[in-house]
Amino acid sequence: MSALSLSLSGGGMRHVAGWSHRLGTVAVTLLGLLTLTFFIGRVMPLDPVLSIVGSDADQSTYQQVYLQLGLDRPLYVQFGYYLRDLLHGDLGMALLTGNPVTTDIARVFPATIELATVAIILGTFAGVPLGVFAATHRGRLGDQIVRVLSLFGYSVPIFWFGMMGLIIFYAWLGWAGGAGRVDLAYDGLVQSRSGILLIDAAMAGEWDVFRSVIKHITLPACILGLHSMAYISRMTRSFMLAQLSQEYIITARVKGLSERQVIWGHAFRNILVQLLTIVALAYGGLLEGAVLIETVFAWPGFGSYLTSSLMLGDMNAVMGCVLLVGLIFVTLNLLADALYQVFDPRTR
Amino acid sequence: MKMPKLLGTCAIALSLMAMPALAKTPDDQLIVGISMTNLLSLDPAGATGNDVVEINANLYDGLVELDPVDTSKILPGLAESWTIAPDGKSISFKIRSGVKFHTGNPLTAEDAAWSLHRVLKLNLALASPWKSYGFTAQNVEQNIRATDPTTLVITLPEPTDPRMVIYTLGTSVSGNVLDRKKVMEHEKDGDLGRVWLTTNAAGSGPFVLNEWRAKDVLMMTRFDGYWRGQAKMRRVIMRNMTESQTLRLMIERGDIDIATGMSVPDIEAMKKNPNAVVQAVKRGNIYYVAMSVKDSKFADKRVRQAIRSLIDYDGINTTVMPNYGILHQRPVQMGLPATLPNPGYKLDVAGAKKLLAEAGQPNGFKTTIRVLSDPPFINIATNLQSTLAQAGIQAEVLPGTGNQVYGAMRDRNFEIIVGRGGGGAEPHPHSSLRALVYNPDNRDEAKLTNFQGWRTSFISPEINALIEKAEVEKDAKKQIEMYQEIQKLYDSQVGAIIPVSQMVDTVVMGKDIRGYVGHPAATTRLREVTKQR
Amino acid sequence: MAATTMTTTTANVAAYDGTPRSSSQALRQNLARGARRLTRNPLTVAGLVVVLGLLLLAAFAPWIATHDPFAQNLSKTLQAPGAEHWFGTDEYGRDIFSRLVHGSRITLYIISLVTIVVGPIGLAVGVISGYFGGWVDTVFMRITDIFISFPGLVLALAFVAALGPGLDHAIIAIALTAWPPIARLARAETLSLRKADFVVAVQLQGASSLRILVRHIAPMCLSSVIVRLTMNMAGVILTAAGLGFLGLGAQPPIPEWGAMISSGRRYMMECWWLVAMPGAAIMMVSLAFNLLGDGLRDVLDPRSE
Repeated sequence: MSALSLSLSGGGMRHVAGWSHRLGTVAVTLLGLLTLTFFIGRVMPLDPVLSIVGSDADQSTYQQVYLQLGLDRPLYVQFGYYLRDLLHGDLGMALLTGNPVTTDIARVFPATIELATVAIILGTFAGVPLGVFAATHRGRLGDQIVRVLSLFGYSVPIFWFGMMGLIIFYAWLGWAGGAGRVDLAYDGLVQSRSGILLIDAAMAGEWDVFRSVIKHITLPACILGLHSMAYISRMTRSFMLAQLSQEYIITARVKGLSERQVIWGHAFRNILVQLLTIVALAYGGLLEGAVLIETVFAWPGFGSYLTSSLMLGDMNAVMGCVLLVGLIFVTLNLLADALYQVFDPRTR
Repeated sequence: MKMPKLLGTCAIALSLMAMPALAKTPDDQLIVGISMTNLLSLDPAGATGNDVVEINANLYDGLVELDPVDTSKILPGLAESWTIAPDGKSISFKIRSGVKFHTGNPLTAEDAAWSLHRVLKLNLALASPWKSYGFTAQNVEQNIRATDPTTLVITLPEPTDPRMVIYTLGTSVSGNVLDRKKVMEHEKDGDLGRVWLTTNAAGSGPFVLNEWRAKDVLMMTRFDGYWRGQAKMRRVIMRNMTESQTLRLMIERGDIDIATGMSVPDIEAMKKNPNAVVQAVKRGNIYYVAMSVKDSKFADKRVRQAIRSLIDYDGINTTVMPNYGILHQRPVQMGLPATLPNPGYKLDVAGAKKLLAEAGQPNGFKTTIRVLSDPPFINIATNLQSTLAQAGIQAEVLPGTGNQVYGAMRDRNFEIIVGRGGGGAEPHPHSSLRALVYNPDNRDEAKLTNFQGWRTSFISPEINALIEKAEVEKDAKKQIEMYQEIQKLYDSQVGAIIPVSQMVDTVVMGKDIRGYVGHPAATTRLREVTKQR
Repeated sequence: MAATTMTTTTANVAAYDGTPRSSSQALRQNLARGARRLTRNPLTVAGLVVVLGLLLLAAFAPWIATHDPFAQNLSKTLQAPGAEHWFGTDEYGRDIFSRLVHGSRITLYIISLVTIVVGPIGLAVGVISGYFGGWVDTVFMRITDIFISFPGLVLALAFVAALGPGLDHAIIAIALTAWPPIARLARAETLSLRKADFVVAVQLQGASSLRILVRHIAPMCLSSVIVRLTMNMAGVILTAAGLGFLGLGAQPPIPEWGAMISSGRRYMMECWWLVAMPGAAIMMVSLAFNLLGDGLRDVLDPRSE
């Protein structure tokens, strides 16, 4: 996960060289990722032509679409064209929605961002206090409970939990909204500005819609956030333990500072940067859970778009998604690295 | 970190969640849950699948409509009336005057002719039936003409049953009449508006498309200037929902009005729910077990007959098929005057073993069953696997997506397939026979991939000849006899496609919905739907 | 899944701040100390017990199961848990308890196969990369980057889509996506060992690179790789189940737990046991592996002493 943080920990003097090298690495990684996906896509036993023309089409129609898509050209030529267009910022047309892939992604991505952001906020706000609590109660019952809780977060099959959640909180209790981002009757009522419904609804002053969005997003975000909660609480605990054994903490205690001041004022302050990098990495990790959670909750986001494109053999769409996810992962890693370098005295 | 603040946030979240659910859809909006997985295009020339048929039936108008209750009854649409020439070689439609498109442009016979020209010129999926009637991109302008703004004349390039052509106009999306001016405004590189029409619509139907977000939601608002008079519902929202359980939860909680594509256990539960109504809609398609005659094992008629005796028709139709299909064993859809009663095939392991022994396969053999991984296909295949095993045939089930399964079938690269097909939208025996049985050229190079008969490599010159003869027979009684003869021949020659069940679609709706009549050809019209509360 | 791949490698690097003098001695020390400390933590013991239970269940499945896991009985479909069928029956009337018991074999089959493939490959790539450095390192690490810069489940999804659905294909796909973290870990360990006194000493004695790698460096990396693999097992189980849920993993009638959830979810509302039982089984086993891996890590990480 912390992909680049180990291989690249340059010193202050080499900063500039380090960064240009790093960007080069990123480019190579993304190119490799694209190549991999492209060739996976071509050996897939899924026929995009058949997806378009339907299984009952006759041969002349089939052949016509086959040629239109340029599938008769050799693979490396197709890949070459793809890269050429990519350099012009053109990800091609999604074969199956008829839109440019960039348009599609711009449409579906905000839904995932919204879900993931709420999830990471919930995960952080639950995970950090739990981790601090565990660290300060080290080895005692509380620590063990937090440990089981976080390992539970790692262990639960997220789609299963999603289904159970829907039954309990939507069907039985009626607390949560059902599938989708908002009650259907509210769909399309708010003009899309940012694509983030919470923001759009608030800006338009449509508080009914806003409430409906909250009702819909809470359950999937909680379940998605479980993973990040587990991860963040564990990392917080270990960071805190490292701090609490430091000299300055002992000094602070000797000076007679209250336990609260020692923990929150001193130890916690010192792990903030580390925590920030961890949260950034966890945020990227949410994209994976989103694939499953979006299926269960019919969330019209990027995960559903990716899986349905994959199932229909729509490779332009899949490649666009892969590129974007790769880019996000790599960026978050770079960001984590940069944070570390800028703030952490040890790497200076 | 401030714990009190955190608790506060949680409290707000909880109190928001605990608000009473909305529970009811708005009175003047119809909210429909469907699976949009196969909804890829709205273009009347290139759309495939059933979902688009239902959507386009509400965005566009056709020349004629078929009565949803008795589909052999043809009702007027944009055409007030029509006459078939005495020689059966041409049909002339009188187009209603005063009809306006959503743009306000007047609708004329020119638009109707141009829409059909477009289908053949683009040569996409829906050109298929028209090509089978002998139309081509070259001859279409000459054969489909608007002689004046209110008259459309269709001349048949090849002898065929003109009723079939009218049925196609009434059932296929390709019969939608497009707003030519509007479409041509959006033409790009001579594509006749293909790119634009994939996600947009230019029709005269009771509803106007507001927005379609692929795999997410489709919204339409009623068209105030509709020639039949305004639709009752102000707005229709169709939402992509692939999970049956989710559909069911939302119907139960009143968050959607109509749900299609629910799974059997959920439908069964909804039948017991006093707030829901379950409507079964019979479709013309047929669930079948198909064998590849190209495979040396199935080239032997006795082996095919053995397989035919190893299908547990009763078991499948009573345990797997309720809400999906009804027992049916003929290649022609049920309910037509020409359809013969079922021949009464039964699971007969002993008989099958005997046939296999005669064919030199006393110990059975190994084979594979390709099948869609969705119910009921996979359940039929699982059942077939166990009955085949009773006669010593070891079948491996290879599940896949529709693309994979039918792709292999089109490549003639399979042994057994459990599938569904048969055209069957048009209430005419020819429609099913053309799709399932007819195979005019059995060579691999012929690539008649749209004929499922060709895909199985099963060819019977006798049956082919009869199908061609029956299609042009003008005497209705004689034609029925011919179709019955074909069914008998298909039975005695043991055709490679063994029908098991005829498709049924089940729609679940809230009990306050009135006027929703599911159409066997999927052209369900929502203009009369109301809510009674 | 994400959870296990996210455990930072930094902690494990730090584990070797005090480098032991020889590998075999270190291993023995670690083992003895480890076993003692491992059993001190009740949670780890609980994890261990469940994992051992799983092994026993798989070994004696035919004797423990009360019914034939494949036998269909259409007259007794969807029965609630009771005396005859402890965990109820599914839509074909098959006994769920027996299917779960036999499913434990599938689960073990998946994790052991993935581990057998991933462990050696990851170790080899990491050790070679770390020891030789230079362009070998660059090439290997760029490849690792490519795999790591993408969510494992999505990549596995793409691989299975390419290979076609099925248990073995799912295993290959999971293995293909699971080796990079191991390689990265082994490389980091190797980097910290490369300049260690005992390695330099062996180098001065004229030992070949291969010998140094196999006899001295790989064994030193082994313990943390094993911990990582144990932590990974939970992730493997979850990824396999996720693939099963999307219809790409094990296919019916194989009683794989994820596939059981996938087919059972159609009946979930009335028949909670169809989904709850296999789901609980997955969760228990994956929790057990996580507890065990966590305990192992504590034992092998001197910082937590």
